[in-house]
Amino acid sequence: MAKLPLEGIRVADFTWVWAGPYCTLQLAHLGADVIRIETRTRPCITRVLPPWPEGKPGGLNRSGYFNQYSQGKRSLTLNFKDPAASEVARKLVAKSDVVVNNFAHGVMDKMGFGYEALRQIKPDIIMASLSGYGDTGPYRDYVAYGPAQVPLSGLSALTGYKGWPPMHSGFSYGDPNAGVHGAFAIMAALFHRAKTGQGQYIDMSQWECSMVVLPEGIMDYTMNAHEPERLGNADPWMAPHGIFKCMDRPERIAGNVIDQWVAIACADDVDWGRLARAMGRPELAADPKFATFAARKANEDELEAVITDWTSSRRAAEVAATLQHAGVAAAVVADNKYLADEDPHLKERDYFVYLEHPEIGKRQHCGMPWKLSRTETKVRAPAPMIGQHTDEILTGLLGYSAEEVAKLRAQKALE
Amino acid sequence: MAGALSSLKIVEVGEMVSAPYASKLMADLGAEVIKVEPPGTGDLARTRGPFPGNEPHPEKSGLFLYLNTNKYGVTLDISKPEGMALLERLAAQADVLIHNVWPPDMERVGLNFERMRRVNPRLVMTSITPYGLFGPYRDWRAEDITLWSAGGVCVINGGGADHPEMPPLKAFGQQSGFQGGVHGAVATMGAVMAQMRDGEGQQVDVSVQESISSQLELFFEYWPYMGLIASRLGRKPIQPVESMECKDGWIYVCCIEEHQWRGFVEVMGNPEWANEEIFADRIKRAENWEALKIFLEEYVSNQTVLDLYKKVQARRVPFAPVSTMGDLINSEHLKARGFFVEIAHPVAGTFKYPGAPLKYHATPWEIRMPAPVLGQHNEEIFGGRLGLSGARIAELKRGGVI
Repeated sequence: MAKLPLEGIRVADFTWVWAGPYCTLQLAHLGADVIRIETRTRPCITRVLPPWPEGKPGGLNRSGYFNQYSQGKRSLTLNFKDPAASEVARKLVAKSDVVVNNFAHGVMDKMGFGYEALRQIKPDIIMASLSGYGDTGPYRDYVAYGPAQVPLSGLSALTGYKGWPPMHSGFSYGDPNAGVHGAFAIMAALFHRAKTGQGQYIDMSQWECSMVVLPEGIMDYTMNAHEPERLGNADPWMAPHGIFKCMDRPERIAGNVIDQWVAIACADDVDWGRLARAMGRPELAADPKFATFAARKANEDELEAVITDWTSSRRAAEVAATLQHAGVAAAVVADNKYLADEDPHLKERDYFVYLEHPEIGKRQHCGMPWKLSRTETKVRAPAPMIGQHTDEILTGLLGYSAEEVAKLRAQKALE
Repeated sequence: MAGALSSLKIVEVGEMVSAPYASKLMADLGAEVIKVEPPGTGDLARTRGPFPGNEPHPEKSGLFLYLNTNKYGVTLDISKPEGMALLERLAAQADVLIHNVWPPDMERVGLNFERMRRVNPRLVMTSITPYGLFGPYRDWRAEDITLWSAGGVCVINGGGADHPEMPPLKAFGQQSGFQGGVHGAVATMGAVMAQMRDGEGQQVDVSVQESISSQLELFFEYWPYMGLIASRLGRKPIQPVESMECKDGWIYVCCIEEHQWRGFVEVMGNPEWANEEIFADRIKRAENWEALKIFLEEYVSNQTVLDLYKKVQARRVPFAPVSTMGDLINSEHLKARGFFVEIAHPVAGTFKYPGAPLKYHATPWEIRMPAPVLGQHNEEIFGGRLGLSGARIAELKRGGVI
């Protein structure tokens, strides 16, 4: 196999929490040397959040959250209260191709690492800022947290059961979505630099990234001055289209009964005929209440009750397999256990990553969502322990002597 | 100044969202994208709304118009041998072929990497498919709702602990396609960088399911680390983080850190109830949410959204409006940043579209042309680019190839 695509590209990674780390994870997946700049004086919150192995917290290296999104990166700890730490970071920038942060607007400037300062150190540097609101505009100093991006973007107003208030997406979708858009922006900037030698600054707003995935809602308004209704799991162009109750998991987990569901979508009358036959109710295909899209839409509650009648006494995986065999789009509403242990497809694709972590051993993590045929596709290392690579980066990459490192450590510049 | 990707040439065989979004990201940065659609019907997205006046029309779909800005549009029936031969000729001149042809259809028409690399060894061929190019579910059918479910997101969203009868809930729109598209664009750019370095192409196999499951926040790891299932029925560990109704709309009340809660209490005028022991920290506020909710509703329901938003943000408390579409279009912040762009299309008319997800300082993100009408650039591309004669083009049209 040929080398990873970004081998030789170095990223000085000032990011934290989730949007930024998800961005730099993509670059690490493609082979970049991503160096997370951290500090023990204010560790990334994801280092202390659950889940922890066997539920036991303790220290900064045990969180599954951090360990998922920092795979393949190195960790350098610097305490910027000491000017010597800033000097180390400047030396790192001089040896880097990309600098990324997801602080609020202006924070990097205050630290002395604004774009102009970086350009003095490395003229062709690419710097990306993934702030909540972007670098310009009247709200540029506003603070943004992941979960608030979902309502801010308009996604909440569009998402929810019929007749219910605006709902959420279940996770802080704005974060990874901004992160992966940021990774694309950096890749395109790297391409431009390879062609022209020119670096540049990239201003990204997590809010704006969250709106570029909502064209149907936004353009219904710009075309028709119409605020779309919340449709639950229904779809304006397909029926049936929903999530249906199946049998509970046979085993209790942590004492709880776990419910299971299946998603089903019929794109047209042909699909509906297939579904009716698969349910053992072929007569429903031509039933005037359900025979056409318009009829199914008009009788959608009854249609869903008929389907639930069939699904509710079956296992979700069985329903999905039966329907796919009949040519109908269906899938288990996968929970984390289903993905990790039971989905035969992800296993066969070798999607999961099991690497030996020095403190918590082998744990199962999600891997990269693509496979390249010629260049290597593999996660090279587990997430770093905090400060794990400080010494090797200072002495190996930045040319500090062991004595100088010891001195910096003694003055707490490497906390 | 040309766009960052202005030297990149892309052929897209895409419909609906994933592959078209990947190549839109590149087209908006200057890449040349030739979009190949089936003759007659075109991209399925042309049948999906919104439409002006709610009247379906193949040249007026908001979804299609948005996803296909800056692209040349040609029609080509790749299930016919002459059609596939023309696709090969287009691919021979391209750096990248991006498609989301469903694997069983790839097999049926004979679209595969081996064939394409024979005509162009430098070609990067990106296949964005629901479940990837191999594995037992390769040929499974998929829609947004089944993929958002198979990726593990639906299960963590719903009516909460008090409504176990309500099903897991999908997010609005076509989020699976967008995530497959943007992850596919990242991987494609990786292969393009390797192409520049090595002078060779490769196949990029992007699974939409995996693009979704790789972004499950901390929820996935609860199983391998703790043996716990993440569910929509859990209670929030900290509060307040909820949408609440004001006089004129909804606001997302969001106090994650203690100093944010103190800021909000100050904004509320330091009411006495806030000193109660049961609200002393974020965990207690979650345990006693039913009581806290009553006090907060009383306060929030007498506020207006923008006023409360600005007051708490002045204390660095990260509330956000629950924006309606109108709120977004009229936002003073988004106006100042020039986020929405007005695009004139010869058939559909002139509307505002969502704009750039990024602002480069040195190279532009720009709209050079609106989405193509079906087959708009057939003569230009097949005649001008591939050198087909007018007579040959007419013949191919009669044969239903273009």
